[in-house]
Amino acid sequence: MTRKDERGHRWTDVGVQRAVIRIVRRLSPGFGRRVITLKTRLHTDLGWDDWYPLRVVKPIRRTLHESLEDRVVLALKTVGDLVSYVWNRMEDA
Amino acid sequence: MRAPRPAPAAVCARAAFALAAPLAAAAFAARAAAQTPADTSRPAAAPPAAAAPAPDTAARAQAAAGTTGLAPAWQLLVGHSYSSARALTQPATFTVEQERGQPLYTVLDAAAMLRGALADRAWLEMGLRARGGSARPPGERAYGAMVRMFGELDPVLVAAGYEYLADGHFVVQQPAATFEVTALGGAPGLGTWVSPALHVRWRPWLGVAWGKGVRPYLRADGEWTGGRFEAGVETTGWLVDGAAVGFVQGDVSVRLVGGLFATASGEAGRAPPTFEPEGRFGVGLGFRLGPT
Repeated sequence: MTRKDERGHRWTDVGVQRAVIRIVRRLSPGFGRRVITLKTRLHTDLGWDDWYPLRVVKPIRRTLHESLEDRVVLALKTVGDLVSYVWNRMEDA
Repeated sequence: MRAPRPAPAAVCARAAFALAAPLAAAAFAARAAAQTPADTSRPAAAPPAAAAPAPDTAARAQAAAGTTGLAPAWQLLVGHSYSSARALTQPATFTVEQERGQPLYTVLDAAAMLRGALADRAWLEMGLRARGGSARPPGERAYGAMVRMFGELDPVLVAAGYEYLADGHFVVQQPAATFEVTALGGAPGLGTWVSPALHVRWRPWLGVAWGKGVRPYLRADGEWTGGRFEAGVETTGWLVDGAAVGFVQGDVSVRLVGGLFATASGEAGRAPPTFEPEGRFGVGLGFRLGPT
């Protein structure tokens, strides 16, 4: 299954998952590769405070070419939620 | 300007009973829970299989937020003082204290905020707070209200707001416009735990308030979490009439159930609106509603 980002680039669901997890991992340098999965909770497991989730907005805009809404990002609970949000913003290819 | 402070109560002799200040907020809990995206049980292993194609960006954004159920229009936060990031995780407390031969004292530290969206990259908060109770003479009580807008400008977060603070006599009143900035991250432990084994994080805020004069301030907070236990400290320094004054507060809490905590908290220094020396220590129950 593929979808298109805001620039028309095609992404598979697996590709979106990998890209988002890579971004989250980069923002949590103290956490190892295996620690971060789709079920990882941003606040509870990674310890992100109220504002830290906003750091995903810029790299997702650069990498996945999707503009996220801050208010939605602040309400995300898991890495899987973030993947779902990005995926749902993309258009069917 | 303010009533003379009575001799501090013998803290160690206090039997502190918790009542549920926070119970006042409990009525909102169910409603807020319904608005809060609590769908953590759903499998997040794969992106949703289908979302209706949307014709334009705005519609796609709406569809995405709606499909994931992650965008409550308004969020109620209790026990989240709006003064700073650390206070955002400090439970609201209401304590009843009994000293031998003395009347029953109450101490209240509570705040509630309503948070909603302004635009894609900005949001709004409105809040009320009170530091009162019979153990605090009116001159030491503080009441406040504020409205504040946030904007994310990665790598920083900026906030502009308007705040009103008053003492219990409403003799000292401080309306002020505020501007604050914090780095979203970039240093070890800034906004996120240092590591899976070390659950410590911190956040600094640099701000300035324009009211009866210009008052710059620097606030830093740090917190630790270990299982049901939490501890935090927050310190703020202001430049008032050319002199530096500071205030520090800390707490140690144990989560009992849900958003209910047993909390020991203390504070010392000079805090607005009076900037008079003060200090207290107490234990009680705390309540928090919203992100932790």
